[in-house]
Amino acid sequence: MNAPAAAARRAVVTGLGFITPIGNERAAVVASLRAGQHGLAPVVFYGNPDLPVKVAGTVKGFRVESASWRDWEWPPGYEIPRETLRGLAPHGVYALCALAQALRDAALSPADIAGDETTGLFCASAGSAMLTFHHLAQTLAVRGERGNPMGVVSSIAGTLNFNLAAHFHITGGVCGFVSACASGSHALGYACDEIRLGRLQRVLVVSAEELNAETLVPFAIMRALSPAADPRLASRPFDCNRDGFVGAGGAVAIVLEESGAAARRGARVQAEIAGWGQAADGYSVATPHPEGAGLRLAMRRALADAGTTPADIDYVNAHATSTPVGDRAEALALRAVFADAGARPRVSSTKALTGHPLSLSGAMEAAFCVLALTEGFMPGNPHLITPDPACAGLELPRACVDAAPRAVLNNSSGFGGSNVCHVLRAPAP
Amino acid sequence: MSSQPILDPSSKLDRFPIEVRDAFRRFRATGEPADLQMVVLAVLRDHMPKRSSVPLTEEMRLMEDLGYDSLAVAEIIFFFEDLFQVRIENRELPELRTVGEVGRFVARKLGQKPAAA
Repeated sequence: MNAPAAAARRAVVTGLGFITPIGNERAAVVASLRAGQHGLAPVVFYGNPDLPVKVAGTVKGFRVESASWRDWEWPPGYEIPRETLRGLAPHGVYALCALAQALRDAALSPADIAGDETTGLFCASAGSAMLTFHHLAQTLAVRGERGNPMGVVSSIAGTLNFNLAAHFHITGGVCGFVSACASGSHALGYACDEIRLGRLQRVLVVSAEELNAETLVPFAIMRALSPAADPRLASRPFDCNRDGFVGAGGAVAIVLEESGAAARRGARVQAEIAGWGQAADGYSVATPHPEGAGLRLAMRRALADAGTTPADIDYVNAHATSTPVGDRAEALALRAVFADAGARPRVSSTKALTGHPLSLSGAMEAAFCVLALTEGFMPGNPHLITPDPACAGLELPRACVDAAPRAVLNNSSGFGGSNVCHVLRAPAP
Repeated sequence: MSSQPILDPSSKLDRFPIEVRDAFRRFRATGEPADLQMVVLAVLRDHMPKRSSVPLTEEMRLMEDLGYDSLAVAEIIFFFEDLFQVRIENRELPELRTVGEVGRFVARKLGQKPAAA
């Protein structure tokens, strides 16, 4: 990540697309982040209202509950031909819409990227547990004699890369990332490197997650979800009474370009990914290191890669999902990196508003950071009532702060103690 | 999840136009070849990777003319197997090149005389 040859090339964001619980386009997302308006809604899975999962960050304007694509509906303005649809999972529909939106935002047409050997596609997805279950159940019912020929490409973890690469005719390079809740951040980080190393001029980063029983109920079984029915109480990162995360779905797409290439085509540069870093806990399969050791190191590496100090960071978009153990570990790591260095950036977790969309979260929150930089605000912690004492020394504004950050840090942590951080800053004038 | 492993074959046609579902019901009741051909044509049209309203004719080739790929051919095979509760072997696939061949193949599988075109 610190290769000297990379120094001259910078990775900049030129397009964003949003299909999220708090809005399906940029202006709606900005409005929700500024107002502290959540996108959580009541849910019942498996027809069982007794399950300890009552609310989720739902995706509006889509009907993708069925295992058959013939039943699906999506908002107007997106064209999805049958030859693409038949290979998609529900979160692939979100992803295709988000990418179409991001390309428009970047003033790129599908023809601009089709067959362009300098454009790559990096995706983050955990696959579709719903479709895997459905297809295998069908095949089991006929003792393996037949099934859906599109079953594999629509359900396994690479489903986003397979389908979007074929649909948009991507030839520069295509791959996928699977590190649970750090997946989207890994995709963005490695996309940044690919550009800084001069291998690609442009990378489309697409991250998506499904919201259905097959994805979410297993987390209730782990006792990782909040059982609360009131959205404001269910997702309240850093609060001392938090009791688990709230699941969510959606997709975000980010168009990342080499700054020189973006300038040559007259693209509007929205932010620079100034650096990134990763480190691991080496501690547990499912819980973070109690003091956030891996996250602490990942933050320091990201700051060093970006050539920034803790004092340069005005806002941190925390990973904090509203779980008792995870938020505490992150708070301690943030204190070690910032408070101990005398720095007090504003810190918030936008998962209070969106819920936690797992593989999507890192890329979604990086895109929120771009919005904070371009629109001049720092999201607050609207559901925070009583901060956990572990947060002592951290600046946790309740309301949105109406001021432009110079540089921001985005944190992500996933199962197995995988931690990834990005530093983003406003484009050089 | 709304769709489950197929129990009632006619549920495969839930998203098809009413006249196709009616034709399938009539075919099951009377064995009328024209009704069977209507269902076969509707299934072939539904599985075309690119939507088209061009009328399907007997001589049209699935791959060259209708844009089918090997996966779409596999999809219609499994669809017909579920819908008509028949088994289609891999060695029979080369017989399924044109719209007319598919219609005659399905009719033969079901013990029907092919309908007049």
